[in-house]
Amino acid sequence: MPASAANRGREMLMAERSGAETAEGLNGVLADLRALSEDIESCAVLSGDGDLLSSSHGPGVDRERVGAMLAALVNLSERVARESGKGHISQLRIDTGGGHLLVVRLDGGGVLAATTGQEARVGLVLYDMRNSRGEVEKALAEGSDR
Amino acid sequence: MKKLLRRLFLLGVLAGAAYAARSYLQGQSPGKETVQIVFDDGSARSLASNTTEGQEFTHIARKLVESGL
Repeated sequence: MPASAANRGREMLMAERSGAETAEGLNGVLADLRALSEDIESCAVLSGDGDLLSSSHGPGVDRERVGAMLAALVNLSERVARESGKGHISQLRIDTGGGHLLVVRLDGGGVLAATTGQEARVGLVLYDMRNSRGEVEKALAEGSDR
Repeated sequence: MKKLLRRLFLLGVLAGAAYAARSYLQGQSPGKETVQIVFDDGSARSLASNTTEGQEFTHIARKLVESGL
């Protein structure tokens, strides 16, 4: 095998390992968040590029579809921010009538998102999400440093 | 005349109470959808569910809430 091909293979392997470690770190943070905030039914982390890095999805949930829908929501809210003459969104809260979708923006453009039931204490959930933001960003940074 | 005025007053009170009760119940209805966006400078904007912009948000959010993330 030529040296360049071997190097490429090694880089790909390292990138895969780094991605797996990032996902592992994020899964831990999301598990802690769900344990802390019992009203959260599901939660996920979306990267600034629109990739679903981690989620608590149940069986039968299409990860790509969820990632695309979440990315669409983030784009919509950023569009509203631009139209309102603002920099970025920091938080998004949507009451659908059957539950809530909550989004907190991370450094670098990613987001931490969660869904709750209709009767959830939304203010408290958002508070816990904002407190977990640092841990999520740390897990993301550790994954990219490796 | 006095009797008529009293009846009109009572009718007005009843109509006002009915309107207030209706508004309160509509505001509390479980089907109400709202969108609140907070920007990085701390300001916030709400989008009503009867606007096109608000409906774009709630349409996607409803699917995500139903399926889970």
